Amino acid sequence: MSLPDLAFQIVYGRLAWGIVLLALVAALIPSGWRHGRHVLGAAAAGLALLMALPGSLSPAWGLGLGFQYPSGLLVGCCLLGLHARWRKEPVPVMMSVSLAAPLAIAGAALYLDAIGLLAQGYYYAAFGPVGAPLLALLGVAGCALAIARGKGRGHALVLLGALLLYTLLRLPSGNLWDAIVDPLLWAWAVVALVRHGVRRHVRSRRRDGEAEPGLAPELQPTDLQPLFAAGGIEHLSSSKEQVSGKQ
Amino acid sequence: METSLTALHNRARTRPRTVIACVLIVLAAFTAEARRWTVSAPPPGQATSSLPTRAVLTETSKSLIPMPPNTPSAHASTLASVPGGMLAFWWAGSRESGPDVKVYAARWTNGKWSAPWEVASRESLGKALGFGVRRIGNPVAWTAPDGRVHLYVVATGLGGWAASRVVHLVSSDAGARFETRRMLPLSPLFNTSVLVRTSPVGLADGGWWLPLYFEIGIKYPMLMAFDRDGEPTRVGRIGERMSTLQPAIVRVSPTEVRAWMRDASGEQRVQQAVSRDDGASWEDLPALDMSSHNTSLAVIRLTGGEMLMLHNHVGADDSSRSTLRLSISKDGQVWRTIGDIADGKDGDEFSYPTMQQVGQELHITYTYQRQAIAHHTYRIATGENI
Repeated sequence: MSLPDLAFQIVYGRLAWGIVLLALVAALIPSGWRHGRHVLGAAAAGLALLMALPGSLSPAWGLGLGFQYPSGLLVGCCLLGLHARWRKEPVPVMMSVSLAAPLAIAGAALYLDAIGLLAQGYYYAAFGPVGAPLLALLGVAGCALAIARGKGRGHALVLLGALLLYTLLRLPSGNLWDAIVDPLLWAWAVVALVRHGVRRHVRSRRRDGEAEPGLAPELQPTDLQPLFAAGGIEHLSSSKEQVSGKQ
Repeated sequence: METSLTALHNRARTRPRTVIACVLIVLAAFTAEARRWTVSAPPPGQATSSLPTRAVLTETSKSLIPMPPNTPSAHASTLASVPGGMLAFWWAGSRESGPDVKVYAARWTNGKWSAPWEVASRESLGKALGFGVRRIGNPVAWTAPDGRVHLYVVATGLGGWAASRVVHLVSSDAGARFETRRMLPLSPLFNTSVLVRTSPVGLADGGWWLPLYFEIGIKYPMLMAFDRDGEPTRVGRIGERMSTLQPAIVRVSPTEVRAWMRDASGEQRVQQAVSRDDGASWEDLPALDMSSHNTSLAVIRLTGGEMLMLHNHVGADDSSRSTLRLSISKDGQVWRTIGDIADGKDGDEFSYPTMQQVGQELHITYTYQRQAIAHHTYRIATGENI
């Protein structure tokens, strides 16, 4: 069990909560606004100053009181969104299914275990001196490989960042779970999954409606082709991301 | 066309850099882990096993620990032996959960208690941790082989006791001043809902076990192991029950460990669990025929081998915390009452006991009417019938 130094945790808490808050503030800035970048820069500077304030004057004081530290992955997702905003690219508000599904499932098991309904010790296992670090190293190698091959760069980058934070400094808590999930990120993943599910359901209902007697039967396969071609949820999610990014 | 060609050209130029960066990152991560792995862990300690001998307890003193001024409420004491005496820690303030509640300490030397001094407050912990602390709760203390005193204090986040966290403080000057080491990571739920109450258990290698418990609707006992330097080595749950808390842990033999727990269920009996692999895994046992109406208890193993338990007995005319009973056992299964060390009328409170053996002296502290901390000492003699 290797835990981080308190001084590192304090610095991490201020930086990480600053990034999360900045992402929330940035979400209020209308996309495509001419002065968006200036406002984002000013917000970043203002929040940096605010976070650096001593004691209870800093927002990190209250956020730490309520939520302790955000996971590295949550901070990474926020950074990714901020980067997209800075480059005036579409920002996906909702998480993709390929990220949300594993987070929601793993988080559900973890939290059921933590509240005592299960007794598997999932959280405690992630303090292990060999298993958890080895898993993190495999994750680092996998993410690095994905980045080098140019596949799924966004997700790979944020996951790599979270795993490196754990591997190099054991932040935020010394527990591998805390590096990759926290209740806020888990709630975000669950909401994203529900939204994806609802959208998918509405779409399929709409398609069913369109495929009713008014439509020529031979049109149906062509209409559904993208669905079959997608080969599952993951592909669907990225197309939805693009849709939501345009809104 | 020209743009796409430029993009392709740029990608071709940046790709080797990306690959090199990825390789370097992976190497750095492997190096960081390899450095940790090369520091070999010390072998696990062995508990000494000895056959129980008959112990005789004779009360030698009885007093109330002096309270700080303007603190009408006091609760949850803990003891730690230091060279030349004993330290007591407890929380006191205007009322439980009040913003002015602080952890205080007093020193027992030459048969007298010193004036109390402040050890931890919301302000001091918040300043050290870099984030806010809403309320202060139970302290638990342990003296390491190097003489440093380790103090674990419940400090809540946003909410009631369900938002509890545990802060680890260390003193290098026998409790005069404490430095905050860290907030112990104990739960993935914003690190909340885990508390301390019962005394740590020493290990033969100089490390110790800190009993803990989770409490947010469902309640279950836990323990965290520390090495001789006070660094956590592992954490785990005790048993699978969902209504037991505040485990009092005793190592019976090199492999057998027993835990007795406060019962929050309708059974209202002292609950127990056993580990036959030195605390690695636990098995729930049927409850003892001893009352626990959701009240804390203390158990220690005397150096002679017998075990002492202090718990709130509930008779026909008692309320849940009005009688504090001392019992003794050779094997942890069959308990015999020695006597009631505090016995009041309905509504009185003598609760949250703690015991500590120093040489042939037994120290007991407990909450006295929620207003003060009572302290009893006993001389322990062996070889006779009690």
